[in-house]
Amino acid sequence: MTVAQIVFILLSVVGLGAALLVVTTRNLFHAALYLIASFFAVSGFYILLEAGFFAAAQFLVYIGAISILFIFATMLTRTVRGMVPRNSQWQAALFVSVILFVAMLLIFSPANFSLPFGQGRTFGGAEWQFAEVPNKPGVLRDVPASSINDFGRALVDLNQYGIALLLSGLLLLIGMVGAIWVARERKPREILAERARMAAEEAEERAKAAAKAPEVSVAHAAVAHDAHHH
Amino acid sequence: MDIINNLVKDIGDGIAAAIIGLLGQGLAADIVIMAIAAIAVFAVASGGFAALTYAERKIVARIQDRVGPNQAGPFGVLQPIADAVKLFTKEDTTPASADFWVYQLAPIIVAVFATLTFTVVPFAPGVVGTNLNIGAFYIIAIGSASTIAILMAGWGSNNKYSLLGAFRTVAQLVGYEVPMLLNIIPVIMLTGSMSLVDIIERQTGVNGGWGVPFIVIMPLSALAFLISGIAETGRSPFDLLEAESEIVAGFHVEYSGMKFGLIMMGEYMNALGVAVMFSVLFLGGYGGPILPPYLWLVLKTFGVFLVLMWLRGTLPRVRIDQLLNMNWKFFVPLSVINLIMIMILGKVFVSDPALFKANGGILIQPFAQVIIFGASSLALLILALAVVTRRVRKDRLAEAEVLQQRREANQQIAAAMH
Repeated sequence: MTVAQIVFILLSVVGLGAALLVVTTRNLFHAALYLIASFFAVSGFYILLEAGFFAAAQFLVYIGAISILFIFATMLTRTVRGMVPRNSQWQAALFVSVILFVAMLLIFSPANFSLPFGQGRTFGGAEWQFAEVPNKPGVLRDVPASSINDFGRALVDLNQYGIALLLSGLLLLIGMVGAIWVARERKPREILAERARMAAEEAEERAKAAAKAPEVSVAHAAVAHDAHHH
Repeated sequence: MDIINNLVKDIGDGIAAAIIGLLGQGLAADIVIMAIAAIAVFAVASGGFAALTYAERKIVARIQDRVGPNQAGPFGVLQPIADAVKLFTKEDTTPASADFWVYQLAPIIVAVFATLTFTVVPFAPGVVGTNLNIGAFYIIAIGSASTIAILMAGWGSNNKYSLLGAFRTVAQLVGYEVPMLLNIIPVIMLTGSMSLVDIIERQTGVNGGWGVPFIVIMPLSALAFLISGIAETGRSPFDLLEAESEIVAGFHVEYSGMKFGLIMMGEYMNALGVAVMFSVLFLGGYGGPILPPYLWLVLKTFGVFLVLMWLRGTLPRVRIDQLLNMNWKFFVPLSVINLIMIMILGKVFVSDPALFKANGGILIQPFAQVIIFGASSLALLILALAVVTRRVRKDRLAEAEVLQQRREANQQIAAAMH
């Protein structure tokens, strides 16, 4: 066994174990921390593939930014501990994950699957093969030394990923504008008008519900009557 | 002269040769050499930490007209050792309701990631832990991990002051990462590489380039990088995350003994890391005349740290709204404008004939290029400062007017009640 294989196995154990703990732990904050451990292992895989730039990008984006927002959101939720890590959609989620897992196995496996989209792709001018590296069955090819330059050019080249980059930039801009709109400064009058509108909507809904189920409305009325007496 | 200049490199090469002679070429020798190199990097970083705690206490004391540590040894130079012994002998407490592992791991993560910065710093020609081709980017990425550690400390302690400190951290550190990154990009663009060795060689003129430090070419970027770097390490005047008078000590209230020591060490090493980064990116790293290269790096780093101490000793703490306004409404737009300006200037004024042939533009001498870059950067800096000074004065006057109105209204009410 080579050193690279030992490191690969260690990273896999850490990454998969942490990912498993993310979905089984009952403490939301711990789940976020396990997610970070998992991201860390993924970053290690990039280093193993000699793709330093992607390792650092993974670290900066996922650990340095996204996880922090996760943790921040976690701290603002009411029940951090004692969450039930299963909900009504777990069967559907399991089904979709199994399908995705099988699809990924088919694409990445070194066996002789001839998929129309799995081979001979180009990435920044260099050929980028997922499966079947000559002479080294089952081993991904090293990222070439000029990969950062190729990556940069591929991102601005309109024939490659230029449009995708622009679109993702636009998406982020829309998200930012939306966030600013939600958190904008409001005058007291606006806030009061909004509250009144929300109250009216709520009342309307309650009226609708009462029309649907008269016995509930009777119970409501009884409660209201009681409260009145007190 | 060569012996002194290459001293560190020769010692390193000698040790490596001795180990290979002892163990033979192979995996075992590699592992031992790597371990010794790692220990050496850690020793440099923690030695710097010990020296800087003493220097900072002495210099800040001088600024504030005090004496500072003066009991342990002559002029108190043994104070760091006394501090370390004291921290080791203190009781190691854990709050009863703390989140045990999160609480225990946080100081370790702070210290580890602060030390990792030094693995890519070139101390002298050929003396570098590892010459990553993404050095500058790596340092930014590693630096972002300390935010997680501070959040873990704040949450794990189960203390409201700790948590408040952690919340402030998120706003501050995540925000100031943006201008820091935006001001490293011009350096990377003008170098054409993210490797710190390449960046230094570009500034010393070894490998082409102008042979002047980047602070001459881009004073605005240098200043913005330094300020956002100070904010990123959470030092005064940006020490909101551990403001003693507001939230006791912020995220490390509950830490005692050596765990507190590790957090302290992480913070100092982060500050030292910013000083080293500033010396490498903008002051030319180990490049300099007469003195040996490693001494030049130490001198430059200490010079930058002196500025940090000076700011700490003299400036009052900024308010959280001032801090965030300054970041999002001043530093980020200014950095983006600066970046675009440098992009355009770099395309229009070219000094490399090969580049001129490929892309066109105006071919000029390298020194003229330096003057053009430096002058436009300085002009932008002065313009921005003029605009922001006016704006801030207007805001302050408006604030004073509101206060005055409120005071008058209160007086009227008081008069009516009499």
